[in-house]
Amino acid sequence: MLKDITFGQYFESKSFVHKLDPRTKLLLLLIIIILIFISKNWLSLLLVALLIFSSMIFSKIPIKMYLKNLKAVLPILIFTMIINLFYAGSTTATPKWSQNLFWNLTITDISLSRAVFMASRILLLIIVSAELTYTTTPNDLTDAIENLLSPLRFIGLKNAVHTLAMMMTIALRFIPTLIEETQKIMNAQKARGADLENGKLIERIKALIPILIPLLISSVRRAYELAEAMECRCYNGGEGRIRMKQLKYNFDDFFTFLIVFIVGATIIAINIIL
Amino acid sequence: MSILEVKNLTHTYDGNTPFMHDAVKNVSFSISKGEVIGIIGHTGSGKSTLVQHLNGLLKATEGEILLDGVNIWENKKNIRAIRSRVGLVFQYPEYQLFEDTVYRDIAFGPKNMGLSDDEIANRIYEVCDLVGIKRDYLDKSPFDLSGGEKRRVAIAGVMAMQPEIIIFDEPVAGLDPQGRANVIKMINDYSKRYNATVLIISHNMEDMALIADKLLVMNKGELAIFDTTENVFRQHERLIRMGLNVPIVTQVMLSLKQKGIDVPDNIFTVDQAVDYLLSLKQGGNRNA
Ligand SMILES: Nc1ncnc2c1ncn2[C@@H]1O[C@H](COP(=O)(O)OP(=O)(O)OP(=O)(O)O)[C@@H](O)[C@H]1O
Ligand SMILES: [Mg+2]
Repeated sequence: MLKDITFGQYFESKSFVHKLDPRTKLLLLLIIIILIFISKNWLSLLLVALLIFSSMIFSKIPIKMYLKNLKAVLPILIFTMIINLFYAGSTTATPKWSQNLFWNLTITDISLSRAVFMASRILLLIIVSAELTYTTTPNDLTDAIENLLSPLRFIGLKNAVHTLAMMMTIALRFIPTLIEETQKIMNAQKARGADLENGKLIERIKALIPILIPLLISSVRRAYELAEAMECRCYNGGEGRIRMKQLKYNFDDFFTFLIVFIVGATIIAINIIL
Repeated sequence: MSILEVKNLTHTYDGNTPFMHDAVKNVSFSISKGEVIGIIGHTGSGKSTLVQHLNGLLKATEGEILLDGVNIWENKKNIRAIRSRVGLVFQYPEYQLFEDTVYRDIAFGPKNMGLSDDEIANRIYEVCDLVGIKRDYLDKSPFDLSGGEKRRVAIAGVMAMQPEIIIFDEPVAGLDPQGRANVIKMINDYSKRYNATVLIISHNMEDMALIADKLLVMNKGELAIFDTTENVFRQHERLIRMGLNVPIVTQVMLSLKQKGIDVPDNIFTVDQAVDYLLSLKQGGNRNA
């Protein structure tokens, strides 16, 4: 049940995308998200889609994995489409085709095209973000964030950046542990006759208390234990720490950047011309 | 007449994914009322997975569980009633305490069974006497107790439901010898008092020798041996091959035997060993 979510999971492989520097992947994700948002017409969106699909192929992750996520966001997708279908918008163009459903809800060819356009944007956003987590370990990701934010040390925020990155690493590391723990506590309370499936809303919320309190207590206990274990290994913040695995850009990274920049420039050009 | 019957039970974790594997494979056995069954097996042999089927926390991939001859899943709505008949005490049960007083935590199970407040109070006093929780502890917060005391409260919480079958998953893990002896005594007292059927998972062969009538040996998800404790411990070579062992006294007796000293091989507890050695001494005196 809790384990069906693939978003945020890492899939081991040695593909081109896996081997890119995590900083490259993070920066390019940001750029592609911006590109998705500035794409105002079908041609530019198609270009972004092409870019994303080719990266999916290079990631060697089964398409099935990407599709699994879509099931989870289907409600959002449908909702967006419906809103856009009936929203007249502020275009001055007159529709070539329109259909009155009932009351004064009207679908036009413009609204139909916009609804599909919006849904495609959301789809692309989800796929490209999922690709980052599929191909990058949580540790690499936090390293990249720490590295990219490191200029903040010039304004006296060095420790804050390191602390933030360490917190993220730990949080990510403990997600599976917490899921397992929750499952265990739920089973234990069920064995004592707790009813988690039936009842009215209030009763169901009340039924969560026997699960949340032990979970909270064990999380606090774990946090203390972890802090002690870290201190025993002489951890005292970011000062003077070096990495075992240094991040390094290489030719593949420059190549990938180049491609994305070319696509980006084209999209901006299309936007200006059209 | 068997109270609990397990038929061809198979459980596959993570079906239809690359991580899929059988944690329990085609296990069948039956247990009579009032028996105390020990479940032993190497780490990862499927013991915990097996027992979570007996009260319907896990659903079998294949096979079925019969309680008094009736499939526990026959009526899905009844599964909570089944759970009050088949109690399960998880490993480290003290981590499941959540109420603000010991009394209310023990009351959680009986309350879920829909018992009246008077009946709940009666059961709580009864179980406290049985397991040795002092009355003035009932108003304390369970989080102020020591580890061993928390464990006792958590076990009392399941015993207060008065299940006919009660299952313990490694009940003595992480306790000192005194605490261990206490928990074993609690379990023994409960089974005597209510003529309850008991299943205990443990890695401690000494405890098993003390308390179990029969042993169920799991090996890599399969049921390897199911026989009386004596018959199982006699197969020490087979046990060692499965990563298990016999009680230390039995090991001592076996090495004495290897040295050519004629001792019986059915000595599994320290008491038995003492009795045997004393009888030997008396016998020796008589001969002299
Ligand atoms: N929730 C789960 N999801 C997937 N696999 C699991 C899960 N729980 C247990 N397993 C696997 O099933 C197998 C049996 O596990 P189980 O916990 O039943 O063993 P055990 O005999 O109780 O071991 P131990 O003595 O260490 O408690 C193991 O290989 C384990 O990795
Ligand atoms: Mg176990």
